[in-house]
Amino acid sequence: MSLTAQLAAYLSRTGGAPATIDMISRISGGASRETYRFDATQNGERCGYILRRDPPGSLIDTDRRLEFAAIRSFAGKGVCAPDALALEVEGAELERPFFIMRRIDGGATGSPFAPDPYAAHAGAIGEQFFTIMGKIAGEPVDGLPICDVTDRPALDACWTRELDYWAGVIDEDEIHPQPIVRAAVRRLRRHPPPPAQKLAVVHGDYRSGNFLHDGAGRIIAVLDWEMAHLGDPLEDLAWATDPLWSHPAGGRISGMLALPDAVAIWERASGLKVDPAAFAWWRLFASVKAQAIWISSAREWRDGGFKEPILAFSGWLTARRQDEILAEALANFEAA
Amino acid sequence: MNPTLPDLLTGITVALSTPLPPEASGEYAAGRQGMIATIAILCAQEAERGGAARVWENGAMRALFGRAAPKYDGGLGGRLRQAASGVDADFTWAGLDAANADLRRVLIALHEAVEDAGDRRLDREILNLYRDMARARRLDLAGG
Repeated sequence: MSLTAQLAAYLSRTGGAPATIDMISRISGGASRETYRFDATQNGERCGYILRRDPPGSLIDTDRRLEFAAIRSFAGKGVCAPDALALEVEGAELERPFFIMRRIDGGATGSPFAPDPYAAHAGAIGEQFFTIMGKIAGEPVDGLPICDVTDRPALDACWTRELDYWAGVIDEDEIHPQPIVRAAVRRLRRHPPPPAQKLAVVHGDYRSGNFLHDGAGRIIAVLDWEMAHLGDPLEDLAWATDPLWSHPAGGRISGMLALPDAVAIWERASGLKVDPAAFAWWRLFASVKAQAIWISSAREWRDGGFKEPILAFSGWLTARRQDEILAEALANFEAA
Repeated sequence: MNPTLPDLLTGITVALSTPLPPEASGEYAAGRQGMIATIAILCAQEAERGGAARVWENGAMRALFGRAAPKYDGGLGGRLRQAASGVDADFTWAGLDAANADLRRVLIALHEAVEDAGDRRLDREILNLYRDMARARRLDLAGG
């Protein structure tokens, strides 16, 4: 049965009325899920949706319940979270786990590899980008839907939880020995950060390329919440400012703002402070996590039968660039 | 390093010859084609520079092990001396990668020992080597 027919069957059953599907099209991005846009007509009403379905092989092993709950945690809270509508962890008619969101039309993403992805709107987009991130960090976590599907680390255990997980990914998926990232893992363990100043929702992949903007300087959606978790609020800030997401020639974070300006905006929006030593730790960690993902990607590409070129791209070109970033960060870490 | 050049070339051939379902045509297919083309260009870079990078990296690690070996007795000292005395004899990609993997394992063990000993001079030397290793393996997206 085609995906179109599967979706029609699912929506007809759950909506209690015949649904027709058209304009279905797979879209690029979101390498850890197959992502499709489609229109559905039911009871005479036509709406646009996004389907996120688990692929047979994935760049990141995550629980789709987490992404769904994370998005729902921020519905109506001014952080441009999409409207999450339906989740099927067993896959139902689509045979693999999936969820459906309302589609936000008219948006574009900026490539992390472009030197000036936001052009004249860089400042305005940067202001919103770091403000939204700060709002997510500052949100009290008690009662949020994400708390029902993830554990709640102690403030002084946020770093070990993340580092242990990603170091484990490296152990599991490394094919060729990786001395640089292994040295970074050891360095992080020897120089732990201070406890988190609060427990926060961490988006987990908040960066250039993972939001939609309208082309006129306004962010309209924050995407790709699949690595969301509870943890140290500095984690997202460190991830977004990893040099990987910025063109090497640019000198600005993701082509938006200088780092001190980005930090100041984040502090204002979150009501939190950036401790330099803690931030340095989380920035090195961000590079470790990224490299773990690229290592996994290379493994998945090989073991999955070489089907998705994005996995090769991430596991090769991106991994090489990450090694350069890691080596530089390691050399400067203790001096920070 | 992985993926290897043969993996990459085989992989993009598999990707090109695998038909996509109708819903994956259009934007996704175009993006996928572009990515395959980029990987092909980068494979050309790797074919041009990758062999020299591997030979250089293997030599740099052996030279470091030769300098570090006198500081270490026992198992690690023996591993360092043995690795330092090696030479690249198999110049196939697989042969160079196999030698490189062995040397990298010794490098990891050495760095752990250096950290445990608090040897800041050798630690700095290894960190500098990491930087050079990463630069030597750089791929340029613009094809430069």
